Amino acid sequence: MTTDLLMSGQFWTFIILAVVTLISTYRMVSVPLITHAALFMALSFTAVAGIFLLLQAEFVAAIQVLVYAGAITTMVIFAIMLSGIGDIKAERKSKVKVWHSNPFVVVVGAVFAAFMLYLYSTANLPKEAAGQNMAKVADIGMSLFTTYVIPFEVASILLLIAMVGAIILTAKEAES
Amino acid sequence: MQLPIYYPLGLAALLFGLGLWGALTRTNAVRILMFVEIMLNGVNLNLVTFSRYYWQSSPEMAAKAPILTLFIMTVAAAEASVGLAIILAMVKNRGVIDVDKVNLLKG
Repeated sequence: MTTDLLMSGQFWTFIILAVVTLISTYRMVSVPLITHAALFMALSFTAVAGIFLLLQAEFVAAIQVLVYAGAITTMVIFAIMLSGIGDIKAERKSKVKVWHSNPFVVVVGAVFAAFMLYLYSTANLPKEAAGQNMAKVADIGMSLFTTYVIPFEVASILLLIAMVGAIILTAKEAES
Repeated sequence: MQLPIYYPLGLAALLFGLGLWGALTRTNAVRILMFVEIMLNGVNLNLVTFSRYYWQSSPEMAAKAPILTLFIMTVAAAEASVGLAIILAMVKNRGVIDVDKVNLLKG
């Protein structure tokens, strides 16, 4: 690690956002109340959106804030509220720490992360980032509506089916 | 000085590992869905990192970089909505949210 890297603001911004992401994700596991876990999930998503901005993917960062930090967090909190107060309070005792949980589970997560880190350390990866991102959001939209128009339409059908399925699963039976 | 590629890739791997640990540790169904979202988010971070470090400087190449990430987010949103609907139906019909207690099919 060069002092050049340690002096750059990009590095420290990344470190701060990564620490926020990892701590809030860890707290998602360890916090007893599930509503708090949902809020920590929103914090984790927002910090990852900051890292997307750092990687010059501003469109993905905006979608991340809209879809993940906005919509999915709201949906999860609604599901928690609708699924009954008793279940929310029942979790209060079940505080999970790394040293309390099943060792096999910890090993699975840790081995996966260590394996990926080992692969990255041996792979021949580019040392430097590519140049400035020349693409604008309009270019992304253009490729989405020309080259990738069929996957785009399939995704819209998937969202429609998901919406219909969610309504059918949760709606009350019609009075017969 | 640019950020080395290993930092965001390492963060993505750690995020996925934490999500895997949480999804396997916790038994609340809503919380398991939240950890699935975290794992998908780690995958997205991986994809965005590789697109940042590999794109050519032409706008055409860079414009194609976030497409797969967008589709992953779409599928994640669909999966979350249907999954939460299934959990709500489970709570309504059987009165449990703990996946360990949903054992109707157990022999």
